[in-house]
Amino acid sequence: MSSSPTETTGLVDVTMPQMGVSVAEGTLVAWRVGVGDPIGAEQTICEISTDKIDTEVPAPVSGVVAEILVEVDETVEVGVVMARIAVEGGNGAAAEVSAQSGAAPAVPAPAAPADPSAVAESGAVAEPADGPARMHPPGRRYSPVVSRIAAEHGIDLSAVAGTGRGGRVRKQDVLALVNADGGGNGASTVEDPPMHIESPYRPDPVPATPVAAATAAAAADGEGLSRMRRQIGAHMKRSLDTAATCTTWIEADMSRVEAARAKLRVTALAFVARATIDALREHPALNAWLDGDAYTQVPDVNLGIAVSLGDDGLIVPVIHRAHELSVEGLAARIREIAKRARARQLTADDVQGGTFTITNPGQYGSIMATPIINLPQVGILDLEAVVKRPVVVTDGDGNDSIAIRPMTILGLSWDHRALDGALSAQFLATVKRRLEGLAG
Amino acid sequence: MSTETAHPAVGAASGHEHLALEDRIWLLRAMLLMRGIEERAMSLYRQGKVPGSFYDGFGQEAVSAGAAFAMAPEDRLCILHRDLAAHLIRGVTPPRILAQYMGRAAGITRGRDGNVHFGDRQLGCVGMVSMLPDMMLVATGMAMAFKLRGERRCALTWFGDGSTSRGDFHEAMNWAGVQRLPVVFVLENNQYAYSTPLDKQFAVDPVERAAAYGFAGVTVDGNDVEVMFEATREARERAIEGGGPTLIEAVTMRMHGHAAHDDMKYVPKEQVEEWRRRDPVDRQERRLRELDVDVDAIRAAVAAEIDAAATEALAGPMPTGDDVLSGVFCEGDAEPLGDGHAPWSGFADGRPADGGAA
Amino acid sequence: MAVMTYLQAISSALRDELRADERVLLMGEDIGVFGGAFKVTDGFAAEFGTDRVMDTPLAESAIIGCAVGAAVVGMRPVCEMQFSDFISCGFDQLVNVAGKMHYRQDLAVPLVVRLPSGGGFSGGPFHSQNPEALFMHSPGIKVVAPSTAADAKGLLHAAIHDPNPVCFMEHKHLYRRVKGEVADGIYETPFTARVARAGSDMVVIAYGAMVDVALKATEDLEGASVEVLDLRSLVPLDEDAILDSVARCSKVVIVDEANMTCAAGAQVAALIAEHGFEDLDGPVVRVATPDVPIPFSPPLEQAVLPGIDRVREACRELLAY
Repeated sequence: MSSSPTETTGLVDVTMPQMGVSVAEGTLVAWRVGVGDPIGAEQTICEISTDKIDTEVPAPVSGVVAEILVEVDETVEVGVVMARIAVEGGNGAAAEVSAQSGAAPAVPAPAAPADPSAVAESGAVAEPADGPARMHPPGRRYSPVVSRIAAEHGIDLSAVAGTGRGGRVRKQDVLALVNADGGGNGASTVEDPPMHIESPYRPDPVPATPVAAATAAAAADGEGLSRMRRQIGAHMKRSLDTAATCTTWIEADMSRVEAARAKLRVTALAFVARATIDALREHPALNAWLDGDAYTQVPDVNLGIAVSLGDDGLIVPVIHRAHELSVEGLAARIREIAKRARARQLTADDVQGGTFTITNPGQYGSIMATPIINLPQVGILDLEAVVKRPVVVTDGDGNDSIAIRPMTILGLSWDHRALDGALSAQFLATVKRRLEGLAG
Repeated sequence: MSTETAHPAVGAASGHEHLALEDRIWLLRAMLLMRGIEERAMSLYRQGKVPGSFYDGFGQEAVSAGAAFAMAPEDRLCILHRDLAAHLIRGVTPPRILAQYMGRAAGITRGRDGNVHFGDRQLGCVGMVSMLPDMMLVATGMAMAFKLRGERRCALTWFGDGSTSRGDFHEAMNWAGVQRLPVVFVLENNQYAYSTPLDKQFAVDPVERAAAYGFAGVTVDGNDVEVMFEATREARERAIEGGGPTLIEAVTMRMHGHAAHDDMKYVPKEQVEEWRRRDPVDRQERRLRELDVDVDAIRAAVAAEIDAAATEALAGPMPTGDDVLSGVFCEGDAEPLGDGHAPWSGFADGRPADGGAA
Repeated sequence: MAVMTYLQAISSALRDELRADERVLLMGEDIGVFGGAFKVTDGFAAEFGTDRVMDTPLAESAIIGCAVGAAVVGMRPVCEMQFSDFISCGFDQLVNVAGKMHYRQDLAVPLVVRLPSGGGFSGGPFHSQNPEALFMHSPGIKVVAPSTAADAKGLLHAAIHDPNPVCFMEHKHLYRRVKGEVADGIYETPFTARVARAGSDMVVIAYGAMVDVALKATEDLEGASVEVLDLRSLVPLDEDAILDSVARCSKVVIVDEANMTCAAGAQVAALIAEHGFEDLDGPVVRVATPDVPIPFSPPLEQAVLPGIDRVREACRELLAY
């Protein structure tokens, strides 16, 4: 059928036909009639050309051509109205005729088959039900992944509020608990010291183990540096001797991160990690290795996260293919590798293959640092305290005012052998933009 | 439809002029080997050493021996379950055949398919499937490729009277006729499809169908191996000269049941007796004795060869199942079929050697 | 690089192969002089001759069977079933002769069967089928189903180069409606899955025409991060990619345009239930055409084929679960 009725009484549409199942459009080649011309049913009204075939289009009804809507050589999609025909007499005329001569049969109104799309929309045909609608409403049961995460972190699921259907505990619910402060509420779990301090104005729980306290290099009985400390020192010295280390800083407004943190119950570090990954995708020159003259950009982002080991110093476990993780995923992985790092359970694979490092040492309120690059990488990002500051904000009309915002200074140490300041600044700007542009 | 052939053997020149004495001996040897292997395999079947079912071509050995003997090394064959002599002529050895029947690791299919469902691809043979006559289309396709590439080679397949009722018979005949392909279709009319006699299978003499599809059809005495050879040789020449396909209706008789589990009670005893007098092996032996060939020596040699083959096959291990999952897909390069043996003296020097590599 | 339709990408692959490899042979009904029912081979006969772009008799069993014969003597036939539905007439040759030949006889059968599949335009029961599951179930046959123009070309090249029988499910609805950048020349797309959109809250697994449906249905689901995995290859099935998506997303909706029972998605669901159990945070949900012949009249057809709305609702429900 190449026509369908319109709402307008007495006008019948002539539409572009579908000449074959895969044809999506057609071109008007010639009109055989003009507006105002009479036309008979089945008479050719126009000629069209499509991918498959050139053909003539017959008029669906007799009448007078009322509108021509498509020009010669114009290509339109299948189903588009090309012209309209006023049916001879129309409804009004028909009524008039039948009123005048009762014996004469009324001119029938244009045939009105149901518009197929209308039927579908009104749901006249029953649609099969899909999805968990057919499941029985859940009782207090836990899905496999929820059970597994809870077991790994010693979480008592009976105390967890569920946000799923019928109060069901979802993966997000238990993950949020894992990442929140005081996440392990089983007595057997040691309170892990937070890796990050948000700001001096919000006190963090006192760490159970004095991890950061004893960063004094000397051992108690004055025997000199520990072996690991010496190894770390050598690595750091080598980096400073080899790389042309520069540091660039940028300020970022963390209000949106703070808001999102509260919603997802996830650390700011995870957000910074995700923003860093996005920035590394945009500026791949920083996701690379430089070994002597050999410079290689790496397609995967293997993100190293510096973890403090107290007296033993520092270790940088790597989240391989971190670009595949969401913020929550990163938060979970950061927590997991930090835990294994402190338990001295990292494997060789865990500390190899990193392409970029983030360091987040502060819980004391320090605001800036000059981190040392983790060779053979070419960049390292430092996240320090988030501090409430007065800042200038400009509204849409260009008016300035003072607002109080949680601000942080992100520091990027970078190797001038591999890149230059402009790129470093652009990278930081991208990280800032991501953090400040988070959807609410 | 009578169970006698309606036409006398047409084109039944016995081909002496093309067969040297050594060829005629070869033909007997092939038939004796086929019969002997099948007898031994039947015995092993009754001893429980051959799993599944067992099919043989007893009484119709000439149909495969004669036709296969006319095939050149570069020709390609789709061989069916009563055509064991064709495998032997192409170069498959008796121990491998007996191992194949017994499902041993040394069988041609290494236990993956049974009894005569095998084809040594290196010898240019395609192993059959049970759906008949599917292989007619494969043979047609091979011939199609030869013609497309301008090669002077042909493809040949056998199939039975029953299988001509299926669609693939008609699709193959039609395609071969429309494209005028170098293919030889050998219809083994052995009077019965399992228990179904011919009058339940055709409304016309099947050789007439060749004309319906636009090519030559000839009926021959399927129990005369030299007549079979000559008819196939002619058909092959027609094919490689661009004359298109030939349907050879080889009239014969299935002297055993459909398979070892069938006692063929439905066949009248007189019919069996009549065909026993026309046994193809007996006939060739008579011919050779008239030419002073020591037939008994040939028989003895064949018997010894089969004994040795059985001993060797029985000594071989069953497959272990370690690699039962492998080989569903080809992981390397697709290798086309290779050339087979062609013992006919007519393929010696002097013959044009422009066959293809596949 | 050029932007072309899915159909043009298929034509491009065939043309490049015919030019590069004299063993390649196209066989199908109306593909030579007429250029094909969908014009995939328009102009081919003029360039390559009607021997290599062969107009066959109307005989699907013969098309497949003769292709087997040609393949085992060194050709690379690419058969076309005019509509995927008609493969039923060639089922025996494909499943029993082609599919089982290598396992039994160590003889490779390098052929491709192109199958224009799928519905959505009142094709009715015999011009709308998605029969791929029948061949997934049949050992020895590979099955691929591209959803993008680039994959259509790459998978077809790979299928033609593969030494095994390959069913190439080309979806008719995508022929002229899907356009994309396609690289020049001959390249192979691996028989693996592709992440069409990365996500973390849920994964929708689909192939063929349902990939675009999945993408559109999950574009804007109240901010949820929904991954869409395009299977691309049904045999071999990329089990690692499927389980990886499940591990990260924990909630799965599988979309099949084919009839629900024993469709490809049923195999994916079974795989996940057995090997991805520990990662699941909800039931494995399937959205599929119910077990009816595809009806002809538009409202009936739209009621059974999985549309954007139906997929979106199933996703929304599962996200909330």
